[in-house]
Amino acid sequence: MKENSCIRVSNLSKKYSGSDSFALKDVTLEIFNGEIFGLLGPNGAGKTTFFSIVCGLLNATSGNAQIAGYSTDKDIESIKKIIGVVPQDIALYPTLSGRDNLMFIGRMYGLKGKVLKERVQECLSKFGFDKNSNEQVKKYSGGMKRRINLIGGILHEPEILLLDEPTVGMDVQTRTSMMEHLKELNKEKKMTILYTSHYLEQAELFCDRVAIMDQGQILCLGSPVDLIKKENGKDLEDVFLKFTGRKIRD
Amino acid sequence: MRRLIATFIKEFKILIVDKTGITILFVMPVMLVFIMTLIQFEAYKSLTQSGIPVLLVNNDNGSLGLSLEKGFKKFSICKLTVDHGEKYKNSEDIKKRIVDGEFIVALVIPKGATNVLRDNVGEMTNSFFDKEKTTKQIATQVKIEVIVDPTASKSFVMAISSGLKEFIASVKTKVLFQIMGEKIAQLLDSDTKAVLPEQDFFVYDESYAVRNSGKTYEPNAVQHNIPAWAIFSIFFIVLPLAGSIINERSEGLFIRMRTFPGNYLSILSGKLFVYFFVAIIQFVMIMLLGKFVMPMLGLPVLDIGTHWFALTTLTIMLSLAAVSYGLLIGTLFSTPQQSAVFGGISILILSALGGIWVPVNLMPPIMQTISSVSPLNWALVGYYELFIKGGDWQAIQFQVLKLALFFIFSITVSYQLYKSKLRKY
Ligand SMILES: Nc1ncnc2c1ncn2[C@@H]1O[C@H](COP(=O)(O)OP(=O)(O)O)[C@@H](O)[C@H]1O
Ligand SMILES: [Mg+2]
Repeated sequence: MKENSCIRVSNLSKKYSGSDSFALKDVTLEIFNGEIFGLLGPNGAGKTTFFSIVCGLLNATSGNAQIAGYSTDKDIESIKKIIGVVPQDIALYPTLSGRDNLMFIGRMYGLKGKVLKERVQECLSKFGFDKNSNEQVKKYSGGMKRRINLIGGILHEPEILLLDEPTVGMDVQTRTSMMEHLKELNKEKKMTILYTSHYLEQAELFCDRVAIMDQGQILCLGSPVDLIKKENGKDLEDVFLKFTGRKIRD
Repeated sequence: MRRLIATFIKEFKILIVDKTGITILFVMPVMLVFIMTLIQFEAYKSLTQSGIPVLLVNNDNGSLGLSLEKGFKKFSICKLTVDHGEKYKNSEDIKKRIVDGEFIVALVIPKGATNVLRDNVGEMTNSFFDKEKTTKQIATQVKIEVIVDPTASKSFVMAISSGLKEFIASVKTKVLFQIMGEKIAQLLDSDTKAVLPEQDFFVYDESYAVRNSGKTYEPNAVQHNIPAWAIFSIFFIVLPLAGSIINERSEGLFIRMRTFPGNYLSILSGKLFVYFFVAIIQFVMIMLLGKFVMPMLGLPVLDIGTHWFALTTLTIMLSLAAVSYGLLIGTLFSTPQQSAVFGGISILILSALGGIWVPVNLMPPIMQTISSVSPLNWALVGYYELFIKGGDWQAIQFQVLKLALFFIFSITVSYQLYKSKLRKY
């Protein structure tokens, strides 16, 4: 194991009960401390499955996953304390305000008092919330919900941030600004970030490395620049289509 | 602890903006308690204060008719109208008055009823003194008509007709003594006349069967209804609680909950604690209503007795039972709609079975047996012991035990079901 390896996954396979194909097939992958890593793939590629195993929500059929040296099988409680999780679906109470949602999440991570209040306020301002932070989440636009959902994962300043499709359903501006925020966190707080996505422009711009996966397998791995050069593509999308084909997914 | 506080604040904030939840938890109980108590109290009061309108058509002009008149005049539950055949000539006429709602019961004593009574008693005594005469059949019968409003409460009608029988029996005895006395005097050839006392030598003392200890309780609409509707309302906690549990299992939130440090089941128990607290607040609120608000409307003051330990334990167990049932419903069903429908209907059924709407002792025997499966009934029996029968901890501990077992059962089943939901496959 490399000194600075943060997430280490070896020969990870997953077959859902009742399904006869593998959602993950023999995946081996290492993510280093301090990098922004994009796990890219079309719908049904196995991104959420990978994410869930790494968060300890799902057991692998075979293989193992380690985070900061802790095994997801045995040390999940240690892992929970150092990761921040941003689920694909909005994980907020719709009748609470954005602020109250964040206060709750912060408390659940052990923050309290002034620190908690300030942290929440700081994040809200940074992500462009002012007065509307006290309105009910159900009145927010999709993009606002996504932003609060994201803040929920970073309030406690985790060492490792795991995001499942954080930018889905956002317009290009919001997507870019969110990635800028993530980049900032990565720089300032030395946060390691793993996120899944099927948007390629932002991945190309912000990721240190990406992996392209399909049908449960990693097809290629490297920095966007290297991959484009190696595959002779004009951009990451070009490379992506080369690997995953043009067939429409369901 | 901090997580418990966090859950507490969150649930509280969710609840106070949830209009349906607040209505179910606080507005509905207040309305139910008020409406049901007032209805029963008014119905009871109006009939006992002004009396049941009874018509006595007395066509007899002897002692039978007279003593019936006297008797019913003293009968406190009646508002008696007496007619000597001037206004009401036939039963068709009377029936019409009853159908129109003027009277609830009418009694018609026929002409010469006293004479028929005397003749019959005379015959009987004769047969006693004269061995050759044996009376196997009575000469004539007196037909006393009792006409009843079909919508009248059975218990009122029963009270009237048993009153009637009692008065007739006492007249019969008097006449019998009189005639016997006359006969004996004849036989002894004496002039002395037996003087019969006006009063009955039986007097009745009614009291309520209570368990102890000098304290007397007044069973009334307040003592009956307040615990019943408090139990009903506390069980309705199931709706918002199950809904909230199910919502928290929606895709995103469930992931968030399971990736928080610590076990999700401990977060869930934090939620249960919040609702337990709500149940206790509901109970206290309804008790305060009975003690301070209802008297302002002219209702009797609620008397919650003095067995504080028993009352507290019973209330805690009732609340835990309700909360655990909410957890069970919230675990069994996967959409808030399903849980609301099943939860709501099951509580209505359990409350009907449990005697919340209609007292269990008025139910047919089979239902009385079935009613003892309802946790709402266990709680109700417990509160009636404390609020009406003057019972203490000893009298309610079996009910508390049953509620505790129900709580343990629901929690265990839910826990097992949740373990499978939390399985990582
Ligand atoms: N709970 C499940 N049970 C059975 N099959 C599943 C389940 N979740 C996902 N899958 C299947 O596993 C594959 C990968 O899914 P997923 O990891 O959600 O992909 P992605 O997040 O990349 O869109 C898909 O074929 C999907 O149908
Ligand atoms: Mg996905």
